[in-house]
Amino acid sequence: MACTRMKKYTFVITEKPDAAYRIALALDMREKPKKMEEKGVPYYVAERDREIVVVSALGHLYTVAEEKNGRSQYPVFDFKWVPRYIAERGASQVRTWIEAIAKLAKNADVFIDACDYDIEGSIIGYSVLRYACDGKDQMSKRMKYSTLTREELEKSYAEPLPHLDFALIEAGLARHEVDWLFGINLSRALTAAAKDWSGKYTTLSTGRVQGPTLKFVAVREKAIRSFVPTPYWEITAEVKINGKVFEAQYEKEKIETKHEADTILNACENKDGKIERIEVKQFQQPPPPPFDLGTLQSEAYNLFGYTPSRTSKVAQRLYLDALISYPRTSSQKLPPAINYETILKDLSKASQYRSLTARLLAYPELKPREGNREDPAHPAIYPTGDLPARVLEDSERRIWDLVIRRFMAVFSEPALKQSMKTHININGHRFLLNGRRILKEGWMHFYEPYVRSEEMILPPTEEGQTVTVKKMILINKFTKPPPRYNPSTILRKMEETKIGTKATRAETIQTLYDRKYVQGEKLTATDLGLEVLEVMERYCPTVVSIKFTRELEEKMNRIQTNNQKKEKVLAEALETLKPVIEKLKENQKVIGEQLSEAIRKSRTDERTIGACPVCKTGQLTVLYSRKTGKRFVGCTNFFKGLCKTSFPLPQRGVIKPLAKNCRGCGWPTVQVLARGRRPWTICFNPRCPLKEGREKRD
Amino acid sequence: MDYMFQSTVPTERRKGEKGLKCKACSREARENGYCELHMKAYENAIEKYKVWQKAMQISWKEYLSEIVKNPLTGEWAREVAESMIKSGEKQDGTSN
Repeated sequence: MACTRMKKYTFVITEKPDAAYRIALALDMREKPKKMEEKGVPYYVAERDREIVVVSALGHLYTVAEEKNGRSQYPVFDFKWVPRYIAERGASQVRTWIEAIAKLAKNADVFIDACDYDIEGSIIGYSVLRYACDGKDQMSKRMKYSTLTREELEKSYAEPLPHLDFALIEAGLARHEVDWLFGINLSRALTAAAKDWSGKYTTLSTGRVQGPTLKFVAVREKAIRSFVPTPYWEITAEVKINGKVFEAQYEKEKIETKHEADTILNACENKDGKIERIEVKQFQQPPPPPFDLGTLQSEAYNLFGYTPSRTSKVAQRLYLDALISYPRTSSQKLPPAINYETILKDLSKASQYRSLTARLLAYPELKPREGNREDPAHPAIYPTGDLPARVLEDSERRIWDLVIRRFMAVFSEPALKQSMKTHININGHRFLLNGRRILKEGWMHFYEPYVRSEEMILPPTEEGQTVTVKKMILINKFTKPPPRYNPSTILRKMEETKIGTKATRAETIQTLYDRKYVQGEKLTATDLGLEVLEVMERYCPTVVSIKFTRELEEKMNRIQTNNQKKEKVLAEALETLKPVIEKLKENQKVIGEQLSEAIRKSRTDERTIGACPVCKTGQLTVLYSRKTGKRFVGCTNFFKGLCKTSFPLPQRGVIKPLAKNCRGCGWPTVQVLARGRRPWTICFNPRCPLKEGREKRD
Repeated sequence: MDYMFQSTVPTERRKGEKGLKCKACSREARENGYCELHMKAYENAIEKYKVWQKAMQISWKEYLSEIVKNPLTGEWAREVAESMIKSGEKQDGTSN
């Protein structure tokens, strides 16, 4: 064991166990590092110029906690950094981990922080070196790398930064501390208010980023729920050109009155059209920029339906397998130092990319198209050129392929497209026929399966040519409410408004789901979410203000560039927070009443399955028998003595009412989610035709 | 059947010591007899009538029933329209 070694050695700390293995593998001369254990904690010993002990953290081992322990007390403004097992339940493994790290670091004389080079990674490395390794943060060196490939790891080990990036660490500490202060105080205020009123405990939370994110969803929800559509009309002329039928749209997209629409329709019916003018335009479409985390998450959602947090996790796995570069980046730049040519040559070893890479490698110069976003720590996401050493899961294979094709596309030429607008005059009214075609594929060829572009090729026509109008179509339409956010668009909104960080945005969105403030794939704010926001807007509008959140983000970013002091940012944050908390405390009773009502409704909604198909007026609800404690489905009209409908329910697993009714009989359905079994759906109708069909088949 | 259920409506609330209730839901009413949430829907319903009237020359009553049955109408706007149909409320806020 390393702790009993007499010889001095180098101690390397990484963020995750997979990274520790990769680094040890790259640094060991024979590529065979020894895997060892200390108190069950795995670590690696690599032999190089000297012995290197590589051990990993488990993500954050230390966290912010209140100075004095008092679980539901607020306000709390005094805090300290403590091992996670002290502050969080279920983190007991962290204690063993810290003890093992402390033991392994004891006889080391050189310390290297090899955690991911970003805010979170820097804090993980710093806190381990400072607290578990007895203040070694001041003497530690820093490995900086963007991929876990052997070449890059060897280089970053040979040429480490002489010390930790303390500005980045300060910025990270400030972010954690400010977020903790806001999160703990506001969440406790809401939770305590609801508990004091109703006597029941429900975890309610909000925070510096969570509040404004909920506000985006809630404002949209209110607009949708208050929406009143207005009518308008569209007119389409079906015209026959060279034997083919096309649909030409009336030049005014929305006709506001029925009278005007009827007048146009009457004037055009049974009349021929004449081509007045043909406008042809050619334009170039440059390749898309390389992926940063946000654009990768958006693209993966649009193409595969993956949530941002899923994409983030998949990309992290690909990074740990050294298949792609560090994904938590906001850069859209690809510096030449990554060596474009080598990557393409390496990728050509995979048959599916061979012909594409060969085309790019034949270019006299490889110059990527880059986007505007920059990240001082990492370049955009790119493939390392390494091929998978194991069979990738579907999601991993898709994201890897997407990153590779995007990488190839950025080196390619622009696509050349043509648009054609034909103006057709029908008895004095102008209709437009729009066509578009791709003249030269350019980058689209490299990005082909992921390109969303439809062609509409029009036949050759001449100005003055007469066309036959086959049919005039009048359609009555209505304006639509604004669309709900989806996980991808809400992420983009957070990026645009600069709230949160690339590492935490997906997690914030997930918290909104966990707290039941939003539901559904299209983010629908629940009544509870709307109430929480209303409370916040009424009693502490600053906290949910986008402007305040963004300004605070900017201040924290300035710490990173040594243009702002952490203490000043914390003091200013406290100055804002203190009166807010006071106001919440003063109004605790009113807030509690408002929130409790929403919680009660939310719990009722969770148990409501749908309209009772027997009495038609009651609701089928999950109820519990007083005698046996068992659950079953009953009609709410039972309490009025009107309906005795009831059905048994499985006693194990979670019952989730489904929004859709049974396709066989239209009765409401539930889904049962039980551990170790695939979820199954129950229709309560004993005479459901689907059940009868199944019985007959059996 | 023997049910285990409990009242979740706080006693203070049931005593009815609060002010007027919203015409469309059980929340406390603010202006025009609507709560904060239904207020915007009410304003929209009043404002959009002008557009409907110009577009289709329909009466207030016809308009309200049109928006109630339109699937694009928001939940709160529909509740407001239904309450106005029920009470016979006109677009100027007066009743029949």
